[in-house]
Amino acid sequence: MPPGQPEDCSPDATALPEDPEDLSPGTAAERTRLAWERTAITFGVVGLVMLRDEPVAGLIVLAVTPLIWALARYVSAVPPPGAQARARRLLLVAVAVTGVAVVAAVAALLGHGGPVRLP
Amino acid sequence: MAGRAAAVRRCHHWCASTWQRGGGATNSHDEHRESQPGKPGEKEPDIRFTLANERTFLAWNRTALALVVAGLGIVQLLPPFPRVPWGRHVLGIPLIALGAIVSVTAYLEWRRTQTAMRRSEPVPQSVLPRILVGTITGVAALSAVVLLVSAVR
Repeated sequence: MPPGQPEDCSPDATALPEDPEDLSPGTAAERTRLAWERTAITFGVVGLVMLRDEPVAGLIVLAVTPLIWALARYVSAVPPPGAQARARRLLLVAVAVTGVAVVAAVAALLGHGGPVRLP
Repeated sequence: MAGRAAAVRRCHHWCASTWQRGGGATNSHDEHRESQPGKPGEKEPDIRFTLANERTFLAWNRTALALVVAGLGIVQLLPPFPRVPWGRHVLGIPLIALGAIVSVTAYLEWRRTQTAMRRSEPVPQSVLPRILVGTITGVAALSAVVLLVSAVR
C-alpha cells in the first residue's frame, strides 16, 4: 500500500484519516510493546536506585525487571491474548508496583536515619 | 474509515459507535472480538482501544514508579534538614504511598474502562489526576513548611 493511503477501499476513504492508527493499525501493538518495555526499564531504574542503600530490596526489584520485559512480548502475539490473560498480566504489574512501593516504604522507615528502630 | 474517524471526533463522549467501529466489515479486529465472547450484552472492543487502555495503565504505573523513586531519593539522598530530623521522611513517605495508590487505582480504572467499552457505555472519568494533583500540592506545601521550620528555628 503506498504511503498516505487509507487502509480500506470504501468510497469515503479518499482523505487521510484523522487518527494515525487508521492509517497503520499495526503500530498500536508496537507502541504498546514499547510502553511495556519502558515500564520494564523504569523497574530497572528503581532497582538500581534502591541497590545503593538497600542491596536486598534493590535485587528483588531488579529481579522483577526481566519478568515485565517478558510480558511485553505477549502484546504482539498472534492471536492476541484473551481478555482474562490480559487482565492477569496487568494485575501482575499493579501488584509488582505496589510491592515495590511497600519495599521502598519499609526501607525508608527502617533504613539509616529512619524513624522506626527495630528492637 | 476516514468518515468513521470524523464521526468519532464529533461524538461528544466515546460511545457504542466508537467502540464497535469497523461496522459490519470483517477484519482482524472483528475476529478478535468474536473470538472472546463475554457476558450477555458485552462485546470485546476494537483491539486498538484495548491496547490504548493498556498503554494508559502502563503510563500510570510508570508515574507510580517515578513517585516511589522520588520518595526514596528524598529519604536516602537528601542531606538531613537542619533542626528538622523527620523532614525527609515526612516528604518522602507520602510520595511512596502515593505510588502504591496510583498503581492500584490505575488497575481498577483499567478494568472499569474495559468493562465500559465492552458494554458500549461512556468511559468513566478518571480520578487519578485529582489524586495526583492533591497529593503533589500537599507535599509541595509540606516542603515549604519543613524548609521554613528548618530555617527559622
